[in-house]
Amino acid sequence: MEIHVDKDACVGCGLCVKDCPMHVYELQDNVSVAVRPNNCMGCLSCHEICPAQALEHRGIYAARRHYIDIKVCEMLRKVV
Amino acid sequence: MSAGYIDELHEAFHSDLVYRSEEIPLECSPRPKEMEQTLHGVMKLNGLVIRSLEEIAGRGANAVTYRAGKKFGHEVAKYFQKREDVEGALHELSDLLRGQYSFEVWKPEDKETFIIEENGETFIYLVFHDCIVRQTLRRNGLDQGGPLCQTLFGYVVGAIEEITGRKAKLEIVHTGPNACLKKLVLK
Repeated sequence: MEIHVDKDACVGCGLCVKDCPMHVYELQDNVSVAVRPNNCMGCLSCHEICPAQALEHRGIYAARRHYIDIKVCEMLRKVV
Repeated sequence: MSAGYIDELHEAFHSDLVYRSEEIPLECSPRPKEMEQTLHGVMKLNGLVIRSLEEIAGRGANAVTYRAGKKFGHEVAKYFQKREDVEGALHELSDLLRGQYSFEVWKPEDKETFIIEENGETFIYLVFHDCIVRQTLRRNGLDQGGPLCQTLFGYVVGAIEEITGRKAKLEIVHTGPNACLKKLVLK
């Protein structure tokens, strides 16, 4: 597992540090650093909680997403 | 209601198909791709049932759904091969849940084995990747870890108990949008 933190985007709020049960992140000089990437199980709750969207995971298994409504997506595609 | 509309309705539900009672359907009808609306309908209904149950029964809702899941787990696993080893049981369980849930055994990097002994407890970490419960909760904007998750808990515990003949307990360690970490405590 490879975790990349965009240092320019990270606001140092520490939410990912608090949220991760496996202590993957640590704050160093007010920036989040993935110090134990091998402990990451890929839940991606850090992505959901990060206000700056500064995180990137590579080599992750993406779970199926049945809850996405295809019709809504089609409408969104027309707008976006 | 106009006669034209009624005729139109009757027309929609009329076909020349000959259906015999001895004919066993060999494939899904309609095709799964066309079932999206049905799937969303079922997810919506499940979410509403769970939300109402929580409103009326409060924390008791967890006990109800856990019990239901456990019974279901025992029921389904009854027909599977009995295994004494936990690894084998998890393999059986993985087959049992295929298509609805997928999981793997997991360990933090400082642990040497998947079966961990800590504070007098023996447990295994399970990471659930694909999960129909998570999909339903997200579809309905509900929190993870509530009564619907308890159904899956009960299901896993029931199946493990049925396969191994040993008592088990499942605990939520963490929930996320892509995966959830659970602790299977063996007794």
